[in-house]
Amino acid sequence: MSLDFSQPQRQSAAGIIINGAYIAQRLVRVMFIPLALFIVKANKTALLNTAFGFIAVVILAFVYGYFNYLKFTFYLNPLKQEFVIDKGIFSRKHLTIPIEKIQQVNINQGFLQKIIGVYSLQIDTAGADSKEVDIRAINGEIAQALRQHLLHGQRTPAMEEGAIETPPTASTDVPLIKIKAATLLKIGLTSNYGQSVALLIGFGYAVFYNIKEVLKAFDNDYGQVEQFVKSGFTLFSTGILLAAITVLLLATNVIRTFVKYFDFQLSKHSHSLLISAGLLARKNTLLHPNKVQITEYSQNYLQKKIGLFKMSLKQAHAGRKQSEKEMKNNNTEIPGCNATEKDELLRMILNRIPDGGSTFKPNWRYLNLPVVFQLILPMLIYGVFYYFFPEARVYYPLVVAYFVIVFIMIYISYTKHRITVSETDIIKQSGIWDISQEIIEPRKIQSISTSQYPWHKKLDIGHVTLHTAAGSISFSYGNFTEIKTLVNYWLYQVESGDQEWM
Amino acid sequence: MQHFTNETIALDKLPKYEETPLTNPDPKYWRVIIINLFIFLFLMAIALGLLTFFNESVRANWMLWTTLFVAFAVFLCLISYASFKRRGFALREKDVLYKSGIIAEKTTIIPLNRIQHVALNEGMFSRIFGLGTLQIYTASGSSGEMHIAGIEIEQAKAIKEALVQRLVINTKEGNE
Repeated sequence: MSLDFSQPQRQSAAGIIINGAYIAQRLVRVMFIPLALFIVKANKTALLNTAFGFIAVVILAFVYGYFNYLKFTFYLNPLKQEFVIDKGIFSRKHLTIPIEKIQQVNINQGFLQKIIGVYSLQIDTAGADSKEVDIRAINGEIAQALRQHLLHGQRTPAMEEGAIETPPTASTDVPLIKIKAATLLKIGLTSNYGQSVALLIGFGYAVFYNIKEVLKAFDNDYGQVEQFVKSGFTLFSTGILLAAITVLLLATNVIRTFVKYFDFQLSKHSHSLLISAGLLARKNTLLHPNKVQITEYSQNYLQKKIGLFKMSLKQAHAGRKQSEKEMKNNNTEIPGCNATEKDELLRMILNRIPDGGSTFKPNWRYLNLPVVFQLILPMLIYGVFYYFFPEARVYYPLVVAYFVIVFIMIYISYTKHRITVSETDIIKQSGIWDISQEIIEPRKIQSISTSQYPWHKKLDIGHVTLHTAAGSISFSYGNFTEIKTLVNYWLYQVESGDQEWM
Repeated sequence: MQHFTNETIALDKLPKYEETPLTNPDPKYWRVIIINLFIFLFLMAIALGLLTFFNESVRANWMLWTTLFVAFAVFLCLISYASFKRRGFALREKDVLYKSGIIAEKTTIIPLNRIQHVALNEGMFSRIFGLGTLQIYTASGSSGEMHIAGIEIEQAKAIKEALVQRLVINTKEGNE
C-alpha cells in the first residue's frame, strides 16, 4: 500500500461496487413511484419481465461503475501544490484544486461503505462545488494519509514535512469531548424540538398521502383515510392525543439524536479539531480553529438545569456567495457538552475564555414592530372575522391564548437581546427558548452597517449589523451614540491591525 | 468592564465615521433613476390600460384607478428623490463608506483590508450619461457588499484602480 500520492492512482477496487450501487440506487429512486404502481397493477408475465429488466439495469449499473472506476484517477502534484482528479467515461473531466484553497477535508462512511470497509473523501474548497470533488471509495489508511497531505501541504510545506510522517493513528489519543449514551439521551429529551416537529409533520403528511395513493391505485378510495382521521378525533380525547404526540415527538428526537451523534468524539489533532459521529453512517470532519468565524453556544431552560450546552462552530467559505442553507451546512455542531468542556473548546478556538466587557441593551421600542405585526394585526383580522362570520366566534379562547403566549415570547426576546463588547470579543445574546451566545472576534468582521429610522433620530436609537464570512450579527434598537462609538472602535481594531480574518 | 472603560479617552479621539463628509452621486444620475422609473410606470400603465379594456368593473371605476395610479407614481418619484438625496459615499484612508436608504438611513463601511474584489458596472442608461456603478465585495457574501451607483465613469475607474492597487499591496503583505 503506497502512501505516495504523486503518481495518478485509482480508488479502492471496492469503488466498482460503491459506484455501481450508487448509480443503481439513483436509477431506482427516479423510477420508484411509476415502478411501484406498475408492480401493483401488473400481471405475472409483465412482472417477470420487469424483474429481468431490473436485473439488467443493475448489471448495467455495475458495468458503468467498473468503467467509472477505471477512468477515475487522482494525484497530488507536489511541484505545483495541486490536487488533480481525472474522471468521466464519455466526457472527461480534469479537475485541478490548488492545495491552499482547500478548506476542509471530510472522510465519511455510508452504510454500504461501512459493510465493505471503505470511506469516501470529500474536499471542501472555496469556490467549487463540493460534490465535484468526491472520492467515493478509498481505503481508510490512504484516506487519512491523503487528508494529512492535503491539509498540511498548505502554507508551509517544508516545515510540515515531519508532521506528515507521523502516522494517522495520532488521532486516536484521548478525545477532548466524548458524548456517552446517557448524555445523548438527555440531549435528545431537551433539544431540537422544532426540527422533530417539522420531521413528524412531513412524515405524517407523507403517510397520509401515500395511503391515499395506494388506495387510488386500487381504485377504491372512498375517503376512508379522512374518515379514519375524523373518527380518530372523536375516539381519543384530545388529552390522550396530545400525550401520544409528545411521546412520539420525544422518541423521534432521541432516535434522531442517536443516529446523528452516536459515539460523538472531538479530539485535538495537531493544529486542528477532529470530530467524528454517527450510528449508521459515520461522519468525520476536520477543521481548523482559525477558520471558525462565529462561535455559538446555547442553552434552554431544561439544559440549564442539567448543565448542558450546545455549541455550533460557524466556518467561512471564502470568496464565494452562498445561500443560507449552505451556510448552515458549514456549521459544525457539538450537540452537548458540560461547562468545562465548553470552556476548553472556547479556549482552543479563541485562545481564551471571553469574559467581562460592557453590556448594551435595547430600548423598549424594540417591542413595537413585533407587537404591531404579530399581535395587533392578527387581532384586527380576527376582529373582522368575529364581526362578519359567527362561526369564527367559538375560537376566541384560542385567540386569547395566542395573544398571551406571543406577547410573552416577544417580551422574553426583548429582555434577552443584548450585546457585550470587550476589547477582544463581541458577544451577542438572543433567543426565546434556546438562549444563544454568539461570539466573534473583531478581526473577523468583514463589514459593518448601521441604520436608523428617521423617526428615531430624536430618540437616538439605531441598529448595527456586523457582517462576517459565516453570517451576520445584529444589535437592534440600541443607543445610537453608543453604537457609533462602538463602530468607530471596531473599525479602528480591524483597520489598525493587519490581523488576518482566516 | 474596567479594561473597556480605560479605553474611553482613546475612543473619543478615534476618527468618527459619522462625521465623514460624503460625496453625493453625480446629479446626472437622477436622470437615470427617472428614466428607469418612467419605464416601470409606463409598463404598469399599459397593464392598467389592458385591464380597463377587458374588465367591466375596472372600466366602470376608471377614474378611481387612474387617481390611484397617479398617486402611486407621485409617491414613487418622491421616495426615489428622497433616497437619491440621501445617497453618498466616501473613500477614507482605510475604508469605504456608503450611505443609502429609502426609509431607514443605512451606512455601510467596508475596511479596505477586507475587500475581496471590486467590479465596475455600466448600465445601459448610465453609460449614456457617462456614469458607472462600483461594486465592492467582501467575504461575507451578499449581505456585506456595497453597490455605489451614479459615479462619473472616469472617477469610478480611478477609485477602482486605487482600491485594486491597495488590494494587491495588502495581499502581498499578507503573503510575506
